[in-house]
Amino acid sequence: MSSMTQNRLFREYKTLSENPPDGITAGPVSEDDMFHWEALIQGPEGTPYEGGVFAAELKFPKDYPLSPPTMKFVGGGVWHPNVYPNGTVCISILHPPGDDPNHYEHASERWSPIQSVEKILISVMSMLAEPNDESPANVEAAKMWRERRSEYEKKVREEVRKGLGL
Amino acid sequence: MPDDEPSLNIPSLLTLAVVSFFVIRWFFKRDGESGTSGSRGRTRGNIVDPAQVEQISQMFPQLSTRDIMWDLQRNGGNVAATTERILTGRGLDTPPPSFQPLVAIPPTGVPAQPAPATKSDGQDLITRYNLAGKVVEGSEAEPAGKPSGWSQNKEERQRLLQKRRDDMILAARRKMMQKEQGGAQ
Repeated sequence: MSSMTQNRLFREYKTLSENPPDGITAGPVSEDDMFHWEALIQGPEGTPYEGGVFAAELKFPKDYPLSPPTMKFVGGGVWHPNVYPNGTVCISILHPPGDDPNHYEHASERWSPIQSVEKILISVMSMLAEPNDESPANVEAAKMWRERRSEYEKKVREEVRKGLGL
Repeated sequence: MPDDEPSLNIPSLLTLAVVSFFVIRWFFKRDGESGTSGSRGRTRGNIVDPAQVEQISQMFPQLSTRDIMWDLQRNGGNVAATTERILTGRGLDTPPPSFQPLVAIPPTGVPAQPAPATKSDGQDLITRYNLAGKVVEGSEAEPAGKPSGWSQNKEERQRLLQKRRDDMILAARRKMMQKEQGGAQ
């Protein structure tokens, strides 16, 4: 089982390296542990995240791809309604079909073995562009996004600069 | 004949007592000497093995590595003895200020592995991926074209991934700086 998982992760790593989607870099921190990856995602254009690069770690369960990985932004985290203050990303593709903590997701949006790391990262990129306001992971950020949009955007832009060491 | 046995044993007991006395005295003396100067331990070649220090340090993160090194150096690198000492609540002695731990050098000529990037919060990407040097030297370099991303060689693959990651961060930083300079003018 575990070697099947490792093979699959290795194949995904190869695909992502040979044909990386725009603005995404991902791979294992070390090939000695295929269950621990690190990814970089570029902030989508036309959003306050534009110009930024966000680092996240992905941890795969032993039964991947039956169960989804977890994804957590590292460093300063990301100010976003769907990202917990500790950096953990909360989107439907990271939730297994049987478990719907938010009671609004369609089964087709949730995790299944036909999804992939690439699809997760692309979903996270579009999540950055379009926050999902129902059942937020970061209540403060969601409130600011809803009620004080310019303050929200200013805060995100500051964090983008800080993330790049500027 | 049975009466003779105790009388025969008295001299041997005495010998044992005398020998023990000298052995114990030698032990204490040695302890006292190294306790005052530490030079005795050094000249006898008690080099501290960093792996042992690490091992104890992981078990008792609250202890100072200097104290651990001092204890290991004095007991000749006996991890069990140092651990026992800590567990029995005797604690470790504070080394004298003059104590310079002699740390064993790794046997190979290969430089020590760089410490993995720390995962502390609030860290920017330049710090996280050790890019401070590249920020300076590569400030006017043009972003390289997308390097081909795969190799049959494991080390090469790792290197390519790291390069793509570094390039992505440095390019974003460059772009942001240019944009800000443009905005300021």
